[in-house]
Amino acid sequence: MAPDTDDATDSEGETRAREVEVPLRLYKVVTVFSTMFAVAFVVGGFIVLDTATQRASLSLSELDLPLAVLGVGMIAAGAFVYAFSTRFRAEGMGKPKDDADEHSDNG
Amino acid sequence: MSIERKDDYDHGEWMREKNLTPVETTFLTALIWMDKRFRIVDYLEILETLYYRVNLQMPKSHTEQYNLDNKFWYWYPLYALGSFSTIAYVVAAVSGALLGFYYAPATTGDPSSAYNQLAFIMTDLNFGFMLRSLHRWSAQVMVAAVFLHMLRVYFTGAYKEPRELNWIIGIILISLTMVFGYTGYLLPWDQLAFWAGQIGVEMSLSIPLAGEWVAQLVFGGFSLGQATLQRMYILHVFFLPFVVTTIIGVHIAIVWIQGIAEPH
Ligand code: HEM
Repeated sequence: MAPDTDDATDSEGETRAREVEVPLRLYKVVTVFSTMFAVAFVVGGFIVLDTATQRASLSLSELDLPLAVLGVGMIAAGAFVYAFSTRFRAEGMGKPKDDADEHSDNG
Repeated sequence: MSIERKDDYDHGEWMREKNLTPVETTFLTALIWMDKRFRIVDYLEILETLYYRVNLQMPKSHTEQYNLDNKFWYWYPLYALGSFSTIAYVVAAVSGALLGFYYAPATTGDPSSAYNQLAFIMTDLNFGFMLRSLHRWSAQVMVAAVFLHMLRVYFTGAYKEPRELNWIIGIILISLTMVFGYTGYLLPWDQLAFWAGQIGVEMSLSIPLAGEWVAQLVFGGFSLGQATLQRMYILHVFFLPFVVTTIIGVHIAIVWIQGIAEPH
């Protein structure tokens, strides 16, 4: 694979995830806060969903639909925040798998 | 890393020249806004500095030596698995000690004192259900964490010279962890426990030459009874805690002395 192609496709034409390089201190901010938000949203989403369905004990007609949708939405939002945050890299960070600097011969 | 000078930059200026999408700009601006008000990252950096100050004997790591700093960042979260195993072990030890106030390793009674005490813990004792759940969950989490820790060590090559001894100690630890689980599984003396015990006896008996001797020693006979339960109990609450705690201590002391292996 061609090294250091930072555009969105690699040599096989597959789309590759976007990478944004940020200063190290900002990378820490992104990691810490987005993880916190993601955890809060996902856990909170499940709590809301549990409340809406009385811990999955209600039948479809009885459940609180708007609240259930809110719960699922929160879980999705948490997942989105986390996934979105993974595009940020600090300077010099290798990329898993396709990093051209990484050899499989134990260095 | 945190001992180094912090990078100084002007958020606004830097972001303008970077060609970010609107969503990215909003995302970063929001997080920077949070960071200005809640300096969590600063406190985490203080902890990081503390860690490096305390680990004075840490030899220059592979990544530092060859200036690969940051190249292997995606392995680091998995370095928490050893500590995670330790934490699960401590939680199991504390909750187990508390369960010990209410459990009795006796097969007498109907169906048995052991089982009756468990029923008491689960239904009558305040926070008893919680206590037993904590104990069972932490035990299962420990087994999973230890196994994943072993995979981490394998795939980062951390078992290599000069860390062979710690790998072997690790194998002893994962085996003893499973013995811990098995002896604990028999303690409720319900159907699951009884037949798991039966399997154990028969497995012992199938060992060539030493089989009968092993069954006698470990299970107190060829059929299950009070002697079996009593042996499982002593192994679980007296023998293994001392042995495993000591070996975990040695295992972690060796990591402390040798310094942690960087992935390579
Ligand atoms: C009760 C079970 C265990 C506990 C509590 C435990 C705990 C730890 C801890 C806290 C570390 C420090 C580094 C880290 O957390 O990754 C460590 C390192 C290590 N462990 Fe374990 N461990 C256990 C089982 C095992 C097993 C099953 C193996 C392999 C068979 C193993 C092999 C190693 C090796 C080789 C290191 C040194 C790795 C390095 O320097 O990077 N351990 N262990």
